[in-house]
Amino acid sequence: MQRIVSRLDALLLILTIGAIPTALWAAFLYAPTEQTMGAVQRIFYFHVPFAVMAYFSVVVLLGSSIVYLSKRNLAWDDLSRAATEVCLLFCTLVLITGPIWAKPAWGTWWTWEARLISTLVLEILLIAALMVRRYADNRDLGARLAAVIGITIAADVYVVHKAVEWWRGMHPEVFKAGNPRSLEPRMTAALLICMGAMFLLCTLLIRLRYRMGRIETRGEALRLENLD
Amino acid sequence: MKRVSFSRATWLVAQKDLQLEWRTFDALAASVVFSIVVLLVFQFAVGGGPARQLSADALVPGVLWLAISFSAVVGIARSMDVERHGDTLAGLFRAPIDRSAIYAGKLIANGIRLALLEVVLVPLAMVFFNADLGGAWLELILVLAICSFGLSALGTLFGAIVSRVGRGEALLSTLLLPASTPLLLAGVSATGALFRGQSLTSVSRWLGLAAGFGLLYFFLALATFEYVLEE
Repeated sequence: MQRIVSRLDALLLILTIGAIPTALWAAFLYAPTEQTMGAVQRIFYFHVPFAVMAYFSVVVLLGSSIVYLSKRNLAWDDLSRAATEVCLLFCTLVLITGPIWAKPAWGTWWTWEARLISTLVLEILLIAALMVRRYADNRDLGARLAAVIGITIAADVYVVHKAVEWWRGMHPEVFKAGNPRSLEPRMTAALLICMGAMFLLCTLLIRLRYRMGRIETRGEALRLENLD
Repeated sequence: MKRVSFSRATWLVAQKDLQLEWRTFDALAASVVFSIVVLLVFQFAVGGGPARQLSADALVPGVLWLAISFSAVVGIARSMDVERHGDTLAGLFRAPIDRSAIYAGKLIANGIRLALLEVVLVPLAMVFFNADLGGAWLELILVLAICSFGLSALGTLFGAIVSRVGRGEALLSTLLLPASTPLLLAGVSATGALFRGQSLTSVSRWLGLAAGFGLLYFFLALATFEYVLEE
């Protein structure tokens, strides 16, 4: 009998519990207040890691979808479902923290700009992928269709972003090479700490959701076995 | 049994779909009428006040692509509905042909349907909103062809997915319209340039993007379509 929480998960959990307060400390106390935007700029230390984790989950989604279609092992589908849900979570957080920052900084909650639109598109497509999974008559069909959608989502996000960037651009370019307004060292350190904490949280959530999915899958298999 | 070649199978599937369309005008009639309704509602929504200050060349590209994209959803959903009601996709899947040929055939049928829709819709939109193209018809046809190819490539894949789970237009538009953002932006930008009297070279990168996006999805769908149809 496998344990429900493995050693790796326990380690991840402890690290995450330690990392989140550290990230809060780094973002609110350690990092200096930004000169022009003031305290509201501190949301950047969470907003950016949320976005990076959303993209990280898309990569996991792409990989697990491809492997599922070639190997047909439901474990990969459990991983792809976990990645979809966690990606949706981080995407939603990006869409919530973004406007909170944009209102004081740009003077508007929302603007139709490249990253905003591509994040919104990603959010809608993830919801659609979960809907297709839910509507499917059986698990295998849902898994296959979700894998196909997962691959198309990953292909889509990049092109959507490029397209809207051509159309109009406004989002601050933080990591542009040779940016003269590069970050103050303590700000960079705070950002890296938050990035690490969110990476731990994201990995932990995907792992836990994956293990939950494994248990659900096994339970369903046992139920079907008993029916026969 | 003799295995049919890819191109022959593609043609047979397309022929079957088009023959069905020719006999019933089911999907085409639904989408053409719907597109006219979109023009009408658009006129009610913005035509009274603010749009009067807008010139036709600023208004028409947007209206046109709004109508094309929504009507494409209606048309594709209708054509897939027919397959679902007769459970004929399962029959197609069991046929001794390459599965991606089913996709290619359906893509041809959907593309021709969309082209026929545009033949009716584009002149109507120009008459309704009093737009002047200045003779750039060939360029407009090229823009429409490139973007419609992408829309059909994506729509045929998503249409099959949606028909497998038995949901209609609502789910298809949730999937298709956000995913085809690059196509719609390219379509609106390129059509807008034509109505402003600019040449196609000024929007060549949009056309390149739309063509590349369409091809990307075309090959992606060819590779994954069999998983969608599988029992």
